[in-house]
Amino acid sequence: MSVKYIPVQWNKFKYIYDLTILALIMGFLWVFVHITPGVLPHQPAINPQIHNMRAFGACAYFLMTLILLIGPLARINHVFLPLLYNRRHLGVLTFFVAFSHASFVMGWYFSFSPADQYEALLGTNTSYAQLLGFPFESFGIFALFCLLVLAVTSHDFWLKFLTPRIWKSLHYLIYPAYVAVVAHIGLGVLQDQKDLTFGFIAGAGAICVAITHLVAARYERKEGDPGSQALARDNWEVICRVDDIREGYAKVACLQNGERVAVFLHEGSLSAISNACAHQNGPLGEGKIIDCLVTCPWHGFQYDVRTGRSPAPFTEKVPTYRLRVQSGNVEVDPEANPPGTPVEPVPIEQSLEGVRT
Amino acid sequence: MSAAQSLVFIAQAWGLIGLAVAAVFLIIGISQIDEDARGAIAFRPLLVPGIMVIWPLVLWRWWLLATGRDVWKLRHKPPRKSHWVVAVAMAVLIVLTLLTSFSIRQTWPADIAPQLLQAPEAAG
Repeated sequence: MSVKYIPVQWNKFKYIYDLTILALIMGFLWVFVHITPGVLPHQPAINPQIHNMRAFGACAYFLMTLILLIGPLARINHVFLPLLYNRRHLGVLTFFVAFSHASFVMGWYFSFSPADQYEALLGTNTSYAQLLGFPFESFGIFALFCLLVLAVTSHDFWLKFLTPRIWKSLHYLIYPAYVAVVAHIGLGVLQDQKDLTFGFIAGAGAICVAITHLVAARYERKEGDPGSQALARDNWEVICRVDDIREGYAKVACLQNGERVAVFLHEGSLSAISNACAHQNGPLGEGKIIDCLVTCPWHGFQYDVRTGRSPAPFTEKVPTYRLRVQSGNVEVDPEANPPGTPVEPVPIEQSLEGVRT
Repeated sequence: MSAAQSLVFIAQAWGLIGLAVAAVFLIIGISQIDEDARGAIAFRPLLVPGIMVIWPLVLWRWWLLATGRDVWKLRHKPPRKSHWVVAVAMAVLIVLTLLTSFSIRQTWPADIAPQLLQAPEAAG
């Protein structure tokens, strides 16, 4: 959470996470440079400069594969949520690894070009009309540009300034970037290698990403939040039965207007807030209430379920909803209140007594 | 000017305009539209590369926020419906790319004897 922005928000968990990723990157590069020449020789043989270039390229591909596996795995099973927590740092490091790969390429192939380095890169091969010999560098340039956009807009300021909706749409660039990297490898190094082991490893990674995304998307469609039921007499919508909500937890439903509402039961009273966290639109309804505050399972942002406000000195706010209990049904007014509007909690005992009598 | 030269020129011009936008936004604009940025200086240089890359978007958002035209409801409506489309499109493209890449590979017999090529005869 932010009060005033600072360059990088680190805490103990994030230090451990970042150090682990750094160790992973260094370990990968070390294994690629020192172990693979004996176990998986590059054929035709390559010089040390190209070997380093491939080490960083392979590492960037490995990290992108890891990044893309974390999202769907966390949706399928919450055990993977801690990996999601600091994924932006992983993304920034991935950009630097990919940039190192590109720097090796420029330094080795275009250093002594009589033309400008970048003009030479863009103009050397322009056979865009054929698959064999296709300028695979263009896929790499596109992917690096996407990673650049993601890395330079990773600070929390961008989330608040652009809104989570635009920020997330922008960060969808990771998907075309990954496909572009697969094409960069497939039409590049894969065409050159006699030994297909590297190609099969890279292909297996890409297939894993494709399968986990399909499984997660299907899981979300089947197990996702149920839709609400509109009432004929007014515009309110039925979310669930009172008995469906456990003390300290929420029931989430998708309203007719597409918004998601989370109805919490806390100390015998119901409160409804938007399910989308103000930070990254994480699912607030999957959090548990402690001392009137629900904690977003993605990044730990907290809100008072009665007001939709983060505790002072934090300033984040989410919309609240008016609700009522009728004949044991929890009903919500789909017109959300502006973020941070206090709504009096509805005691369920009193409401149910009204039904019984 | 070749296509490559044009692309490099456009990229340089884009970055320079972005740099100018970054200077004005970070010195004047940011404090006006974000209360959390008031008095916070150290993080601002980190935003320069981002503004250089997406400066049209920055100008648009700056205008929306400064003129009160921002629609607060959209902040709480994530683009979740597109997950399914993205997952399917990405899976299809990955499979197609891999199939294409493996199928167009050229394999050469290793035991073929090398041939000395003749230089082409002079024209005319």
